[in-house]
Amino acid sequence: MKKIIAKLVVVAGLIALSATAALAHSPLCSCFDNGDGTVLCEGGFSDGSTASGVKMFVRDDSGAVIVKGAMNENSEFEFNKPAGHYTVTFDGGEGHSIDIDGSDIVE
Amino acid sequence: MKMKVVFLNLLLVVAMAVPASAHFQMVYTPEIAKTKGAETDVKLVFTHPFEAGHTMSMGMPEEFFMLHQKGEEGKTKKYDLKKLLKPITWTSLTNSGEAYEAKLPKKIVRSMGDYTLVLVPAPYYEGEEDIYIQQITKTYMNVGGLPGNWAAPAGLKTEWVPLVKPYAMWTGMTFKAQLLSDGKPVPNADVEVEYMNHEPDMKNNAFKKEANAEAPHDAFVTMGVKTDAQGYVTFAIPKAGWWGFCALGSGPDSEFKGKELSQDAVIWIKAVDM
Repeated sequence: MKKIIAKLVVVAGLIALSATAALAHSPLCSCFDNGDGTVLCEGGFSDGSTASGVKMFVRDDSGAVIVKGAMNENSEFEFNKPAGHYTVTFDGGEGHSIDIDGSDIVE
Repeated sequence: MKMKVVFLNLLLVVAMAVPASAHFQMVYTPEIAKTKGAETDVKLVFTHPFEAGHTMSMGMPEEFFMLHQKGEEGKTKKYDLKKLLKPITWTSLTNSGEAYEAKLPKKIVRSMGDYTLVLVPAPYYEGEEDIYIQQITKTYMNVGGLPGNWAAPAGLKTEWVPLVKPYAMWTGMTFKAQLLSDGKPVPNADVEVEYMNHEPDMKNNAFKKEANAEAPHDAFVTMGVKTDAQGYVTFAIPKAGWWGFCALGSGPDSEFKGKELSQDAVIWIKAVDM
Protein backbone atom coordinates (compact mmCIF):
# COMPACT_ATOMS: atom_id res chain seq x y z
CA MET A 1 0.00 0.00 0.00
CA LYS A 2 2.82 2.34 0.96
CA LYS A 3 4.50 1.53 -2.34
CA ILE A 4 1.35 2.38 -4.26
CA ILE A 5 1.02 5.70 -2.44
CA ALA A 6 4.66 6.50 -3.15
CA LYS A 7 4.10 5.72 -6.83
CA LEU A 8 0.98 7.88 -6.87
CA VAL A 9 2.93 10.76 -5.32
CA VAL A 10 5.63 10.43 -8.00
CA VAL A 11 3.01 10.33 -10.75
CA ALA A 12 1.23 13.34 -9.28
CA GLY A 13 4.54 15.15 -9.09
CA LEU A 14 5.29 14.36 -12.72
CA ILE A 15 1.86 15.58 -13.78
CA ALA A 16 2.37 18.80 -11.85
CA LEU A 17 5.82 19.25 -13.45
CA SER A 18 4.60 18.59 -16.98
CA ALA A 19 1.67 20.95 -16.42
CA THR A 20 4.11 23.68 -15.39
CA ALA A 21 6.24 23.06 -18.46
CA ALA A 22 3.17 23.23 -20.69
CA LEU A 23 2.21 26.61 -19.23
CA ALA A 24 5.57 28.04 -20.18
CA HIS A 25 4.88 27.80 -23.90
CA SER A 26 2.04 29.29 -25.84
CA PRO A 27 0.14 27.92 -28.82
CA LEU A 28 0.60 29.48 -32.24
CA CYS A 29 -1.59 29.07 -35.29
CA SER A 30 -1.79 30.94 -38.56
CA CYS A 31 -3.94 30.27 -41.62
CA PHE A 32 -3.87 31.56 -45.16
CA ASP A 33 -6.07 31.23 -48.19
CA ASN A 34 -4.22 29.25 -50.87
CA GLY A 35 -6.27 31.02 -53.52
CA ASP A 36 -7.40 27.71 -55.06
CA GLY A 37 -10.45 27.08 -52.88
CA THR A 38 -8.39 25.66 -50.02
CA VAL A 39 -7.13 27.08 -46.74
CA LEU A 40 -3.87 26.07 -45.06
CA CYS A 41 -3.33 26.38 -41.32
CA GLU A 42 0.05 26.02 -39.65
CA GLY A 43 0.61 25.55 -35.96
CA GLY A 44 3.17 25.00 -33.28
CA PHE A 45 4.24 26.17 -29.86
CA SER A 46 6.42 29.10 -28.87
CA ASP A 47 9.22 26.77 -27.74
CA GLY A 48 9.44 25.36 -31.26
CA SER A 49 7.67 22.09 -30.42
CA THR A 50 5.40 20.44 -32.96
CA ALA A 51 1.63 20.77 -33.16
CA SER A 52 1.33 17.41 -34.90
CA GLY A 53 -1.87 15.68 -33.76
CA VAL A 54 -3.54 18.83 -32.40
CA LYS A 55 -7.28 18.71 -33.17
CA MET A 56 -8.63 21.24 -35.65
CA PHE A 57 -12.25 22.31 -36.08
CA VAL A 58 -13.94 24.53 -38.62
CA ARG A 59 -17.33 25.88 -37.53
CA ASP A 60 -20.01 27.85 -39.31
CA ASP A 61 -21.88 30.81 -37.79
CA SER A 62 -24.29 28.54 -35.90
CA GLY A 63 -21.34 26.89 -34.17
CA ALA A 64 -21.83 23.61 -35.99
CA VAL A 65 -18.62 21.76 -36.87
CA ILE A 66 -18.33 21.57 -40.65
CA VAL A 67 -14.75 20.26 -40.91
CA LYS A 68 -12.88 18.18 -38.35
CA GLY A 69 -9.31 16.93 -38.42
CA ALA A 70 -5.85 17.24 -36.91
CA MET A 71 -2.50 18.86 -37.63
CA ASN A 72 -0.36 16.51 -39.74
CA GLU A 73 3.30 15.59 -39.16
CA ASN A 74 4.37 18.97 -40.57
CA SER A 75 1.99 20.78 -38.17
CA GLU A 76 -0.26 21.70 -41.10
CA PHE A 77 -4.00 21.30 -41.68
CA GLU A 78 -5.60 21.97 -45.04
CA PHE A 79 -9.31 22.12 -45.77
CA ASN A 80 -11.72 23.26 -48.48
CA LYS A 81 -12.75 26.84 -47.88
CA PRO A 82 -16.38 26.97 -46.72
CA ALA A 83 -18.81 29.09 -48.75
CA GLY A 84 -20.00 31.23 -45.84
CA HIS A 85 -18.43 32.81 -42.77
CA TYR A 86 -16.43 30.37 -40.65
CA THR A 87 -14.12 30.07 -37.65
CA VAL A 88 -11.08 27.82 -37.30
CA THR A 89 -10.21 26.36 -33.89
CA PHE A 90 -6.75 25.05 -33.03
CA ASP A 91 -7.61 22.84 -30.04
CA GLY A 92 -4.36 22.45 -28.12
CA GLY A 93 -6.19 21.68 -24.85
CA GLU A 94 -7.15 23.92 -21.97
CA GLY A 95 -5.40 27.29 -22.21
CA HIS A 96 -3.85 26.24 -25.49
CA SER A 97 -6.68 26.85 -27.94
CA ILE A 98 -6.85 29.51 -30.63
CA ASP A 99 -9.86 30.68 -32.63
CA ILE A 100 -9.25 32.35 -35.97
CA ASP A 101 -12.01 34.29 -37.69
CA GLY A 102 -12.37 33.25 -41.34
CA SER A 103 -12.52 36.90 -42.41
CA ASP A 104 -8.91 37.27 -41.16
CA ILE A 105 -7.74 34.45 -43.38
CA VAL A 106 -6.49 36.00 -46.61
CA GLU A 107 -4.16 35.07 -49.45
CA MET B 1 63.32 71.78 -40.52
CA LYS B 2 60.96 72.97 -37.81
CA MET B 3 58.37 73.73 -40.45
CA LYS B 4 58.65 70.20 -41.75
CA VAL B 5 58.02 68.75 -38.29
CA VAL B 6 55.04 71.04 -37.78
CA PHE B 7 53.66 70.00 -41.17
CA LEU B 8 54.10 66.30 -40.37
CA ASN B 9 52.43 66.79 -37.01
CA LEU B 10 49.55 68.55 -38.70
CA LEU B 11 49.19 65.69 -41.17
CA LEU B 12 49.13 63.26 -38.27
CA VAL B 13 46.41 65.26 -36.52
CA VAL B 14 44.33 65.37 -39.72
CA ALA B 15 44.79 61.62 -40.22
CA MET B 16 43.75 60.89 -36.63
CA ALA B 17 40.75 63.16 -36.88
CA VAL B 18 39.14 60.85 -39.45
CA PRO B 19 36.61 58.95 -37.35
CA ALA B 20 37.46 55.35 -36.65
CA SER B 21 34.36 53.83 -38.19
CA ALA B 22 34.24 50.35 -39.57
CA HIS B 23 33.19 48.68 -42.79
CA PHE B 24 29.95 46.80 -42.32
CA GLN B 25 28.05 44.68 -44.78
CA MET B 26 24.35 45.33 -44.29
CA VAL B 27 21.54 42.90 -45.12
CA TYR B 28 18.63 45.13 -44.22
CA THR B 29 14.87 44.88 -44.14
CA PRO B 30 12.87 47.15 -41.83
CA GLU B 31 10.65 44.58 -40.09
CA ILE B 32 12.12 41.26 -38.95
CA ALA B 33 9.51 40.20 -36.37
CA LYS B 34 6.50 39.74 -38.61
CA THR B 35 3.06 38.79 -37.35
CA LYS B 36 2.09 37.49 -40.78
CA GLY B 37 4.06 36.61 -43.87
CA ALA B 38 4.43 39.39 -46.42
CA GLU B 39 6.38 40.50 -49.47
CA THR B 40 9.74 41.64 -48.12
CA ASP B 41 12.17 44.24 -49.46
CA VAL B 42 15.83 43.65 -48.69
CA LYS B 43 18.80 45.97 -49.32
CA LEU B 44 22.42 44.83 -49.46
CA VAL B 45 24.75 47.75 -48.71
CA PHE B 46 28.47 47.78 -47.81
CA THR B 47 28.96 50.90 -45.74
CA HIS B 48 29.86 52.59 -42.46
CA PRO B 49 26.54 52.45 -40.61
CA PHE B 50 27.15 54.60 -37.52
CA GLU B 51 27.99 57.68 -39.51
CA ALA B 52 26.12 56.73 -42.68
CA GLY B 53 29.57 57.31 -44.11
CA HIS B 54 31.44 56.13 -47.17
CA THR B 55 29.52 53.43 -49.06
CA MET B 56 31.69 50.94 -50.92
CA SER B 57 30.60 49.63 -54.33
CA MET B 58 29.70 45.95 -54.14
CA GLY B 59 30.24 43.42 -56.90
CA MET B 60 27.67 40.72 -57.69
CA PRO B 61 27.55 38.57 -54.53
CA GLU B 62 28.89 35.03 -54.63
CA GLU B 63 25.80 33.77 -52.80
CA PHE B 64 22.57 35.19 -51.43
CA PHE B 65 20.07 32.74 -50.01
CA MET B 66 17.44 32.23 -47.34
CA LEU B 67 16.96 29.34 -44.92
CA HIS B 68 13.46 28.74 -43.57
CA GLN B 69 12.45 26.38 -40.80
CA LYS B 70 9.11 25.95 -39.08
CA GLY B 71 9.46 24.48 -35.57
CA GLU B 72 12.59 23.03 -34.04
CA GLU B 73 11.92 19.63 -35.59
CA GLY B 74 10.93 21.02 -38.98
CA LYS B 75 12.90 20.58 -42.19
CA THR B 76 15.16 23.43 -43.33
CA LYS B 77 14.23 24.80 -46.74
CA LYS B 78 16.77 26.76 -48.76
CA TYR B 79 15.75 29.44 -51.25
CA ASP B 80 18.22 30.93 -53.71
CA LEU B 81 17.70 34.70 -53.68
CA LYS B 82 20.58 35.64 -56.01
CA LYS B 83 18.27 35.55 -59.01
CA LEU B 84 16.10 38.23 -57.34
CA LEU B 85 18.99 40.73 -56.97
CA LYS B 86 18.82 44.05 -58.78
CA PRO B 87 21.61 46.67 -58.73
CA ILE B 88 20.84 49.97 -57.02
CA THR B 89 22.81 53.05 -56.03
CA TRP B 90 22.88 53.67 -52.29
CA THR B 91 23.42 57.22 -51.09
CA SER B 92 25.23 57.82 -47.82
CA LEU B 93 25.87 61.23 -46.26
CA THR B 94 29.22 61.49 -48.03
CA ASN B 95 28.96 59.56 -51.31
CA SER B 96 27.06 56.99 -53.36
CA GLY B 97 27.98 53.38 -54.00
CA GLU B 98 26.73 50.38 -55.91
CA ALA B 99 24.50 48.11 -53.84
CA TYR B 100 21.75 45.55 -54.41
CA GLU B 101 18.11 45.05 -53.56
CA ALA B 102 15.75 42.09 -53.68
CA LYS B 103 11.99 41.82 -53.41
CA LEU B 104 11.14 38.53 -51.72
CA PRO B 105 7.70 37.38 -52.94
CA LYS B 106 5.07 36.62 -50.31
CA LYS B 107 4.90 32.97 -51.39
CA ILE B 108 8.37 32.34 -49.91
CA VAL B 109 7.86 34.49 -46.77
CA ARG B 110 4.37 33.24 -45.95
CA SER B 111 4.83 30.33 -43.57
CA MET B 112 5.44 30.72 -39.86
CA GLY B 113 8.95 30.15 -38.57
CA ASP B 114 12.50 31.46 -38.78
CA TYR B 115 14.08 32.91 -41.88
CA THR B 116 17.85 33.43 -42.12
CA LEU B 117 19.06 35.74 -44.87
CA VAL B 118 22.64 34.79 -45.78
CA LEU B 119 24.95 36.88 -47.93
CA VAL B 120 28.36 35.80 -49.16
CA PRO B 121 29.53 38.93 -50.96
CA ALA B 122 32.23 39.12 -53.62
CA PRO B 123 35.55 40.09 -51.99
CA TYR B 124 35.89 43.89 -52.02
CA TYR B 125 39.27 45.43 -52.83
CA GLU B 126 40.20 48.03 -50.22
CA GLY B 127 42.82 50.14 -51.96
CA GLU B 128 43.94 52.03 -48.87
CA GLU B 129 45.00 48.82 -47.15
CA ASP B 130 45.75 46.83 -50.35
CA ILE B 131 43.62 43.94 -49.10
CA TYR B 132 40.35 42.25 -49.97
CA ILE B 133 37.43 42.18 -47.52
CA GLN B 134 34.62 39.63 -47.59
CA GLN B 135 31.99 39.99 -44.89
CA ILE B 136 29.76 36.92 -44.72
CA THR B 137 26.54 38.29 -43.24
CA LYS B 138 23.40 36.94 -41.59
CA THR B 139 20.13 38.73 -40.77
CA TYR B 140 17.19 36.89 -39.22
CA MET B 141 13.43 37.24 -39.61
CA ASN B 142 10.53 35.43 -37.97
CA VAL B 143 6.90 35.04 -38.93
CA GLY B 144 4.19 34.34 -36.38
CA GLY B 145 6.45 33.74 -33.36
CA LEU B 146 7.06 30.06 -34.13
CA PRO B 147 10.79 29.43 -33.76
CA GLY B 148 12.80 27.24 -36.09
CA ASN B 149 16.52 27.07 -36.72
CA TRP B 150 17.67 30.45 -35.36
CA ALA B 151 20.21 28.76 -33.05
CA ALA B 152 21.66 26.43 -35.69
CA PRO B 153 24.76 27.17 -37.77
CA ALA B 154 24.10 27.77 -41.47
CA GLY B 155 27.30 25.90 -42.39
CA LEU B 156 29.18 28.99 -43.61
CA LYS B 157 32.96 29.37 -43.75
CA THR B 158 32.68 31.75 -40.84
CA GLU B 159 29.54 32.83 -39.01
CA TRP B 160 27.91 33.94 -35.78
CA VAL B 161 25.54 31.48 -34.12
CA PRO B 162 23.19 33.36 -31.78
CA LEU B 163 22.20 32.08 -28.34
CA VAL B 164 19.43 34.68 -28.07
CA LYS B 165 16.73 35.08 -30.71
CA PRO B 166 18.15 37.90 -32.85
CA TYR B 167 14.67 39.06 -33.89
CA ALA B 168 13.20 39.20 -30.37
CA MET B 169 15.38 41.63 -28.41
CA TRP B 170 14.08 44.27 -26.02
CA THR B 171 16.36 47.25 -25.51
CA GLY B 172 18.69 46.46 -22.60
CA MET B 173 18.75 42.72 -23.20
CA THR B 174 22.09 40.95 -23.49
CA PHE B 175 22.92 39.46 -26.84
CA LYS B 176 25.14 36.40 -26.90
CA ALA B 177 26.58 34.59 -29.90
CA GLN B 178 29.36 32.18 -30.74
CA LEU B 179 31.82 32.82 -33.54
CA LEU B 180 32.64 29.86 -35.79
CA SER B 181 35.24 29.29 -38.50
CA ASP B 182 34.77 26.08 -40.49
CA GLY B 183 32.34 25.07 -37.75
CA LYS B 184 34.84 25.50 -34.90
CA PRO B 185 34.75 28.21 -32.19
CA VAL B 186 37.14 31.15 -32.66
CA PRO B 187 38.66 32.33 -29.33
CA ASN B 188 40.07 35.80 -28.72
CA ALA B 189 38.84 37.23 -32.03
CA ASP B 190 38.57 40.98 -32.56
CA VAL B 191 34.95 42.01 -32.96
CA GLU B 192 33.64 45.39 -34.02
CA VAL B 193 30.18 46.47 -32.92
CA GLU B 194 28.35 49.32 -34.56
CA TYR B 195 24.94 50.93 -34.23
CA MET B 196 22.96 51.77 -37.37
CA ASN B 197 22.68 55.39 -36.40
CA HIS B 198 20.88 56.67 -39.50
CA GLU B 199 17.67 54.94 -40.51
CA PRO B 200 17.73 53.54 -44.05
CA ASP B 201 15.25 55.19 -46.41
CA MET B 202 13.95 52.17 -48.34
CA LYS B 203 12.21 54.24 -51.02
CA ASN B 204 15.12 56.51 -51.89
CA ASN B 205 17.94 54.00 -51.29
CA ALA B 206 19.68 56.35 -48.89
CA PHE B 207 20.45 56.91 -45.24
CA LYS B 208 18.30 59.52 -43.52
CA LYS B 209 20.24 62.61 -42.46
CA GLU B 210 19.05 62.58 -38.83
CA ALA B 211 21.27 60.68 -36.43
CA ASN B 212 19.72 58.83 -33.47
CA ALA B 213 22.79 59.09 -31.24
CA GLU B 214 25.97 61.09 -30.88
CA ALA B 215 29.28 59.47 -29.98
CA PRO B 216 31.24 61.33 -27.29
CA HIS B 217 34.50 59.85 -28.58
CA ASP B 218 35.71 57.91 -31.63
CA ALA B 219 35.94 54.70 -29.60
CA PHE B 220 32.14 54.80 -29.25
CA VAL B 221 31.55 54.87 -33.01
CA THR B 222 32.92 51.38 -33.51
CA MET B 223 33.05 49.51 -30.25
CA GLY B 224 35.66 46.84 -29.70
CA VAL B 225 35.00 43.54 -27.97
CA LYS B 226 36.70 40.17 -28.08
CA THR B 227 35.40 36.62 -28.13
CA ASP B 228 36.20 34.56 -25.03
CA ALA B 229 38.08 31.24 -24.91
CA GLN B 230 35.05 29.42 -26.38
CA GLY B 231 34.38 32.01 -29.08
CA TYR B 232 31.44 33.68 -27.33
CA VAL B 233 30.61 37.36 -27.24
CA THR B 234 28.08 38.94 -24.90
CA PHE B 235 26.87 42.48 -25.41
CA ALA B 236 24.04 44.36 -23.70
CA ILE B 237 22.03 46.43 -26.17
CA PRO B 238 21.73 50.01 -24.87
CA LYS B 239 19.43 51.50 -27.49
CA ALA B 240 16.58 50.44 -29.75
CA GLY B 241 17.44 49.84 -33.37
CA TRP B 242 19.90 47.80 -35.38
CA TRP B 243 23.25 46.56 -34.08
CA GLY B 244 25.91 44.89 -36.19
CA PHE B 245 28.67 42.57 -34.95
CA CYS B 246 31.67 42.00 -37.22
CA ALA B 247 34.43 39.50 -36.43
CA LEU B 248 37.57 40.53 -38.29
CA GLY B 249 39.44 37.93 -40.31
CA SER B 250 37.71 35.03 -38.57
CA GLY B 251 37.24 32.97 -41.75
CA PRO B 252 39.56 30.23 -43.02
CA ASP B 253 40.42 31.96 -46.34
CA SER B 254 43.28 34.43 -46.06
CA GLU B 255 44.17 35.17 -49.69
CA PHE B 256 42.32 36.35 -52.77
CA LYS B 257 43.90 37.12 -56.15
CA GLY B 258 47.36 37.05 -54.59
CA LYS B 259 46.48 39.59 -51.91
CA GLU B 260 45.53 39.35 -48.26
CA LEU B 261 41.85 38.59 -47.64
CA SER B 262 40.02 39.51 -44.46
CA GLN B 263 37.14 37.03 -44.35
CA ASP B 264 34.80 38.44 -41.72
CA ALA B 265 31.57 37.26 -40.07
CA VAL B 266 28.71 39.74 -39.57
CA ILE B 267 25.39 39.37 -37.78
CA TRP B 268 22.66 41.99 -37.39
CA ILE B 269 20.15 42.16 -34.58
CA LYS B 270 17.30 44.55 -33.89
CA ALA B 271 16.19 45.75 -30.45
CA VAL B 272 12.87 47.41 -29.68
CA ASP B 273 11.78 49.48 -26.68
CA MET B 274 9.33 48.04 -24.15
